[in-house]
Amino acid sequence: MKELIGIIKDHILYRQQILKLARADLQKTYRGAALGWSWAIIKPAVTIFVYWFAFSIGIKGGGADVEGFPFFLWLMAGIIPWFYINDMLSQGSNAIRKYSYLVTKMKFPVSTIPTFVSISKFTVHIILVIITVLIFIFMGHSPDIYIIQLPLYMFLNFAFFTIFSLFASLLSAMSKDFANLIKSLIMAIFWLSGIIWNVKNLDIGWIKKIQMINPVTFLAEGYRNCFIHKVWLFEQPEKLICFAIVLGVLAIASLWTYKKLRKEIPDVL
Amino acid sequence: MDNKEVVIEFKNVTKLYKLFKNDKKRLLHTFFKRIKYKEKRAVNDVSFQIRRGEAVALFGKNGAGKSTVLKLITGVSFPTEGDVIVKGRVSALLELTSGFDPEFTGRENIYLKGRLLGLKDNEIKELEETIIEFAGIAEYMDQPVRTYSSGMKARLGFSINVNIRPEIFIVDEALSVGDEEFKNKCIKKVKEIVAKEDVTLLFVTHATGVARQFCTRGILMKEGKLMFDGDIDEAIKKYESTIKK
Repeated sequence: MKELIGIIKDHILYRQQILKLARADLQKTYRGAALGWSWAIIKPAVTIFVYWFAFSIGIKGGGADVEGFPFFLWLMAGIIPWFYINDMLSQGSNAIRKYSYLVTKMKFPVSTIPTFVSISKFTVHIILVIITVLIFIFMGHSPDIYIIQLPLYMFLNFAFFTIFSLFASLLSAMSKDFANLIKSLIMAIFWLSGIIWNVKNLDIGWIKKIQMINPVTFLAEGYRNCFIHKVWLFEQPEKLICFAIVLGVLAIASLWTYKKLRKEIPDVL
Repeated sequence: MDNKEVVIEFKNVTKLYKLFKNDKKRLLHTFFKRIKYKEKRAVNDVSFQIRRGEAVALFGKNGAGKSTVLKLITGVSFPTEGDVIVKGRVSALLELTSGFDPEFTGRENIYLKGRLLGLKDNEIKELEETIIEFAGIAEYMDQPVRTYSSGMKARLGFSINVNIRPEIFIVDEALSVGDEEFKNKCIKKVKEIVAKEDVTLLFVTHATGVARQFCTRGILMKEGKLMFDGDIDEAIKKYESTIKK
């Protein structure tokens, strides 16, 4: 509990530095390249094209319309949250090691490092979401009233992976093994979580049950609920409850790790 | 001196480092207490007080615990036992060549560091020219720091740290970098800062001659323990006798 209050205090006290460091992190990611900012859009665009090509053209019978929406739009709605998740898994979980100079060279609250990295990645996410909405409108599938729950899903996505990156980056700072473990799991998480195949088509009971506690599935489906499936969050309370439980467990694990490692991290890096 | 406020206080401070065979053991130790490790007592039951405006030199051989003491003062590292109390803005010249973001330009690093130390943008703007002028590398200010030589980084690092109006000023071997001309410039600047009534200086060095120029008090450390705390001349004498042995 003391740790939680400490972390919140750090965030309030350093709110300006957090925002400035987030901006700096963003600038650093995209500068030095001739195309600069456009990479934030080109990379996801290429990825989406590749999966669309593989599933629509490459695989026979794949890429069928989903609930009246072209496969392309269905794919996009679920893969957009994944780009942020992917960034957080690969870079967020390494945040403290990457910004070790903030830990070992000056007095700076360690707990805020994953936060500003997350804000930086989330900014790109917001831009991609706006582009997605524009493409839906352009393709003649203007979002309707269900879109108002999108900010909530975005917030849940942000909250979950910011807390996750605190947990993961603390452990990654202690040992590179953990960083490598997460990196090697990214592909597995991507293919198993129903981002590019429809979880609704699953008919094996126990896999369905496992998917209930998979936060990535919840989030990808959540974004699709807004764009494609037109389902309200409260219509599937059991899914929300499962997600909340996983989030709670993660938060406790993060606090525990923080309490254990906060004072050791500067000696290790 | 005695009536001034205490700005740095160590109360029976001990710092232990846990040494593991490898990173895997260290990670496992987080979850299982049984994992074995060796202990290194870097600072052993050290107590002292430094008052506002004092200029103190810290002597000791390599591995005596000086750097650990500085890390504890700057708040980077935490004591295993005891208390460390520090009041005021600490500007530390620890390892000058690091502590920059290599992807940013020199100018951006000035702003980054200033903000991290709690200065406002307009305050940094006021100091910017002074900092650049002092560093003497104006033409490189808009190049990324990763392209700097170690001498240039040291110049910029020193310049930022001395110009942000520190209240507690810590110099760790920093004056040994750079060429003779820059070194003298630095010494002059440190003197200027120390001459101000309310700036506290903590100077870590092996160069006893330079220490004598600034400091009135000397602390000698050996193997993590405080061996002597008192007049600078006596401290230097004791320190030099430990080296000869």
